[in-house]
Amino acid sequence: LSMVRHQPEGLDQLQAQTQFTRKELQSLYRGFKNECPSGLVDEETFKTIYSQFFPQGDATTYAHFLFNAFDMDRNGSIRFEDFVLGLSVLLRGSVTEKLRWAFNLYDINKDGYITKEEMLAIMTSIYDMMGRYTLPSVRDDSPFEHVEKFFQKMDRNRDGVVTIDEFIETCQRDENIMASMQLFENVI
Amino acid sequence: MAAGVAAWLPFARAAAIGWMPVASTPMPIPPQDKRKAQDGLIILNVSGTKFQTWRTTLERYPDTLLGSTERDFFFHEETSEYFFDRDPDIFRHILNFYRTGKLHYPRQECISAYDEELAFFGIIPEIIGDCCYEEYKDRRRENAERLQDDEEMDMNNDVTPVNLTFREYLWRAFENPHTSTLALVFYYVTGFFIAISVMANVVETVPCGTLPNRSKEMSCGDRYALAFFCLDTACVMIFTVEYLLRLIAAPSRCKFMKSVMSVIDVVAIMPYYIGLVMTDNDQVSGAFVTLRVFRVFRIFKFSRHSAGLRILGYTLKSCASELGFLLFSLTMAIIIFATVMFYAEKGSTATKFTSIPAAFWYTIVTMTTLGYGDMVPKTIVGKVFGSICSLSGVLVIALPVPVIVSNFSRIYHQSQRAEKRRAQRKTRLARIRAAKIRGTNAYMRYKQNGLLIDALEEVAGQALVGKAASPPFESQHHHLLHCLEKTTNHEFVDEQTFQANCMEISVVNKSGSRTSSLSSSPHGLSSCCSRRHRKKSSFSLPSTNNQELSTIQIRERPVSNSRSSLNAKLDKTMPLKCDEAYISPSMVRLSAPVATSSDDTSTATTTYSQSNIVRVSAL
Repeated sequence: LSMVRHQPEGLDQLQAQTQFTRKELQSLYRGFKNECPSGLVDEETFKTIYSQFFPQGDATTYAHFLFNAFDMDRNGSIRFEDFVLGLSVLLRGSVTEKLRWAFNLYDINKDGYITKEEMLAIMTSIYDMMGRYTLPSVRDDSPFEHVEKFFQKMDRNRDGVVTIDEFIETCQRDENIMASMQLFENVI
Repeated sequence: MAAGVAAWLPFARAAAIGWMPVASTPMPIPPQDKRKAQDGLIILNVSGTKFQTWRTTLERYPDTLLGSTERDFFFHEETSEYFFDRDPDIFRHILNFYRTGKLHYPRQECISAYDEELAFFGIIPEIIGDCCYEEYKDRRRENAERLQDDEEMDMNNDVTPVNLTFREYLWRAFENPHTSTLALVFYYVTGFFIAISVMANVVETVPCGTLPNRSKEMSCGDRYALAFFCLDTACVMIFTVEYLLRLIAAPSRCKFMKSVMSVIDVVAIMPYYIGLVMTDNDQVSGAFVTLRVFRVFRIFKFSRHSAGLRILGYTLKSCASELGFLLFSLTMAIIIFATVMFYAEKGSTATKFTSIPAAFWYTIVTMTTLGYGDMVPKTIVGKVFGSICSLSGVLVIALPVPVIVSNFSRIYHQSQRAEKRRAQRKTRLARIRAAKIRGTNAYMRYKQNGLLIDALEEVAGQALVGKAASPPFESQHHHLLHCLEKTTNHEFVDEQTFQANCMEISVVNKSGSRTSSLSSSPHGLSSCCSRRHRKKSSFSLPSTNNQELSTIQIRERPVSNSRSSLNAKLDKTMPLKCDEAYISPSMVRLSAPVATSSDDTSTATTTYSQSNIVRVSAL
């Protein structure tokens, strides 16, 4: 338990930076502070919290990727501002912003390209969350096949990597994906 | 499960957008949140102390009272808050459970009060957090033991020794000596003889001076052989009689014979009988002498007389594992050190460490820090290892002892508490009894007041309301009892009146010369009266209540000649001078016992309802 404490910026500034109302910000902060009294979430705590929602499988790897996606300044801990900014994009942002966020999640080394290895790592971590008791059971090459399908769809110029434009373009053409992006509007 | 981190659920759901682009199949529709109530504050007023919390905090646990619609029953319209008439101190912990997801048990609260609050608010105690769970379980166990003890004592002491067979009576006398004086006398006599017997065994071996024709000093046992033999015989006879009586009285003979005390008894008296059988046989006299050693077991018979000894024995039994560990580690250490000492001292001349078993003696004496000095290492190596041995001995022996001591202390305190409770039982029962009598008297007064008012209204038209009005709860309760009386056509009376009436009826029953309306069932009456006899209570005159009633009722004494005829037929001398107020013909008074004598009530009422006695004024 670190002695570092962090206080977020004022409510007004956050309100300006994000798309949340005052009440929503208050509610979000109360939940955040309840779990992390010090005001900072480190990776271990984050993994613990996230794993509680997926008890059957192992959510730690995916939580690691998620943590990196939220921790924008790469300092190893998520402050309330990072948390709220990320949520603002996810819940109140435009479809393009959401897609950009997803791309950022998949691009592990943040170099602007999604390689097959990166995608495989992401996919394996998602399948890990399912755990062992699934129907039909997860075979060892299920993630790999899934990655192949993904690349076939996304990689237009067959150069082995997916760029941000390819990604956004392909997603905008897929109705299912567009519909699912609107799914979590009313979460808060 | 994830209720503790419920605040993060929106985040987890939002992050699910990361799966969307790679999803294989379309997503399901999210649930509609119909109750999109804004997160509002709820005020919980618990006996005046106001607690406030968010509505969503309470709704994290929907199967409790506060988290479900059950709380609407407690909503107070005027102040628009939820009011609970409960303990605010304990409620604090319950509310903290909603906030943090962990239930704590405060040490200073009574365990039953806490359990009641938990039950009221619908929280199962098994979710108490690890930090407080041990304490909670311990307190609960103690409470359960206390309740069990109380029940056992109730069962033991309430059964009045009435219709026990002689065997049961005997067994009870043996087990609880304080029940009757005879048992107490027997108890002390046996104790005395145990002491005498043990002392005789000891004094027997003391040298008593020499006889003139013998040069060797003789022990007292040899010198006064006859006296000691007679003493021994007397003691053994007492013990044998006692053992046989116990055997006869025991409810389960096999179990009795297998019990520890009976084995001790047998071992204590067997040597004598074996000695009687084989006195003249020199070959086995050696064995006979050995047998006499067993006479010392008589001292264990004292454990029937001393609770402390029993506790000690019980402690040793319950610490068997610690003792076993002690023994095992000691054995290991002894073997190790004996071996080392033997080989260390092997070289030195004329050493006493002739073999490893011989070295055992040295090791034991050293490890227990006795140090007799009969075996002493001479080499330097031997001395070094000898000192290590004595240092480690202290450690090995000191380790399990505190465990045994704490066990003994716990058991001893438990037995002390049981004693205290037994002593307090009497005052407790007396208090309960007094409360019941008060209740009955209050009810009688209520009825009397009511009748008084009724009667006097007819007479003078004035209400005689001189007393303070009884509280509404009481008056309603009394009215209820009155309704019951009217329903069953019986009346409540107190214990004394009931006994007096019972006696009356037994008198009446014996005479048999009553009006035909007497349709009593004899056996029921006799049972009720015999029960009264069994209680050994004196026949008391009817209480003043009835006499007060008699001021307004027609009081008639039975005609003397019929009374005298009854007298003639009576074989028991019962005081028949009860100034019974007989009921006016209009009001039939039937005696039914009140719930003072709880164990007799049910049966007595049934007998009475069967008997349906109508006592009218003697005509």
